[in-house]
Amino acid sequence: MIKQDLTVLEERSIFVLREAKQKFGKVAALWSMGKDSTTMLALARKAFLGKVPFPVIHIDNSIDFPETYEFRQDLAKKWNLDLIVAPSEIKPDLVGSACCGKNKPETLKKVMDEYGFDALIVSIRRDEHGIRAKERYMSPRDKKFRWNYKDQPAELWDDYSSKLDVGGHVRVHPLLDWNEIDIWNYVKRERIPVNPLYFSRNGYRYRSLGCTHCTIHIKSNARTVENIISELETTKIEERSGRSMDKEREYVMQRLRSLGYM
Amino acid sequence: MIVKTISLLGHKDHGKSTLIGSLLMHTGSATQVRIKEAEAYSKKLHKDFEPAFILDSFAEEREQEMTYDTTRAEIKYKDLAFAFIDVPGHEELIKNMISGASYGEIAVLLVSAKADEGIRDQTKRHLFIARMLGIESLVVAVNKMDLVGYDKKRFDMIKDGLSGFIEKIGFEKTMVSFVPVSAYKGENLVKRSRFMNWYKGKTLIDLIYSGTKKQSGNKTGALRIIVQGFLEGQRDFAVGRVVKGNLSLTGGFCISPGNLPVKIKSIIVKGKKVKKAIIGENVALQFDKKMGSDLRGSVISNKGDCPEARAKVRATIFITKKLDKNSSIRFNGSDIQIKKMSVAEYIDPTTGTRSTNGKMELLSAISADLILSKQIPAEKFDETRELGRFVLYSDGAFAGIGTITGY
Repeated sequence: MIKQDLTVLEERSIFVLREAKQKFGKVAALWSMGKDSTTMLALARKAFLGKVPFPVIHIDNSIDFPETYEFRQDLAKKWNLDLIVAPSEIKPDLVGSACCGKNKPETLKKVMDEYGFDALIVSIRRDEHGIRAKERYMSPRDKKFRWNYKDQPAELWDDYSSKLDVGGHVRVHPLLDWNEIDIWNYVKRERIPVNPLYFSRNGYRYRSLGCTHCTIHIKSNARTVENIISELETTKIEERSGRSMDKEREYVMQRLRSLGYM
Repeated sequence: MIVKTISLLGHKDHGKSTLIGSLLMHTGSATQVRIKEAEAYSKKLHKDFEPAFILDSFAEEREQEMTYDTTRAEIKYKDLAFAFIDVPGHEELIKNMISGASYGEIAVLLVSAKADEGIRDQTKRHLFIARMLGIESLVVAVNKMDLVGYDKKRFDMIKDGLSGFIEKIGFEKTMVSFVPVSAYKGENLVKRSRFMNWYKGKTLIDLIYSGTKKQSGNKTGALRIIVQGFLEGQRDFAVGRVVKGNLSLTGGFCISPGNLPVKIKSIIVKGKKVKKAIIGENVALQFDKKMGSDLRGSVISNKGDCPEARAKVRATIFITKKLDKNSSIRFNGSDIQIKKMSVAEYIDPTTGTRSTNGKMELLSAISADLILSKQIPAEKFDETRELGRFVLYSDGAFAGIGTITGY
């Protein structure tokens, strides 16, 4: 896994975050309380003089881990976050990707409509998945949340040309260039608080966090951020190996994303 | 680790995605999961192992064996890391090609050595665009040598066929190198090929390595900060980025357009008050007073050294969509109407030939004088890249790119 220059990454993310605030009227961010979206909030604090200047949305299916809820409460208070909790109902007949593909986007649609957000910051990274690697820094979604991946806007020379569809919104991806190991190095450098589930307990830890139904822990003795970094330096296993929905069928990520999944 | 970004160029089916897939494997940079996935898809499509599938992730891309949109893959080599940007080679996808290639610091061009493939218009068009985007260092990989019996004559033919054109469109000879490869078989990529002993030069990866050391960006010089806008609700606080020179609090400053004098009270970088900021840094600047006009796209410089604001520029323009009455340029975040455009020269991007007679055609270039609806703080692309380039829009859609060559 390639370690990149954190300062270069940081500057690009700050630029993208500020550009989003300049271009769009009502910006919000998704916050899963995972390492990536929490890092994004730390970057926003740097970009906007210590304050996160947009609401953060948690799509809460009520089956997240208890540690995650505790972490949400603590950090929201510490960083004075404008937190929107959007309850999402788990339907027993939907499992795996069908659940992620339907519940989350549907709940998100409701919140976006209710508040009238026109831009949504999502902390995806290219190295997570081949499909996410195809994304732009700013990427339009139509009214039905669809991603027209066959005709993405041009994006060059710091010009993010995405325009709003009527009733649609633009996804903003400030962490697109970061690798998993960069996130951890940055967490270490900046002392960013992280969800305790990432650290090993009884020989296991979570490398990528979803809800309790679909996230599987990995064997690991990494108890500190430093341990995680050295683990990642040698691993040959993919980050989302513990996310069951990725593995059900071919192209599941492509289908989910084209339908509005994050 | 320093990451160098490399744009892959070339006609469709000349092997760009295969090359990156193959490099990922031969340098041990692909995860087992990705390799296994690519193996499974190859099998499913009743093919021998296809390294391109490590890259092409859309279902349509694998089924039709064609890259639709740009992607990025990282490879570690010596003290550097290379981020390869794969781009679609198909003509209709030139918008995606330009988007991807614009991030490259150097370029690698793939040309198939096969007699029925070889140098194509699209091969040369990609080179023309890369040069316009500001790429100076180029490696030409003559590919599919395994399919022509590793014949030196085929390699020489392509090298001779391209050299003149490459120089004509503005690459310097010392910045260009050629290497014969087989992306599919991995010949001359990371290890020297035993089938091509007639080739005495470096392997592809070593040429890329030395190529990245030659690349230059903005020359150092006078301070230029491009303003993104105000911090929300604070008209005495602007945010922007230093694109050239260094910023320190001493002396006065000016804003262009308008040549407005301004005092900067404090500089904030990443949330901390500082005395200086350097090139590449995003800054927040506190002025001594609230500003009246919107500053998005304006430039802050040291007093007496403001770029002149101009409503007329001479530019080289590559056109991808027909320009109508409603054409505009996007210049550092602002949309500015083109009031009038007069063509000085027509440039054929497949030959590099310039002529005063001609017709404006899609996927070709012009040199033209633009009269704009508003003054912009423009400089020549060669002087300050960020102030010498723009994206063209026609009827709200991407229509091409331009670089400023004069006034």
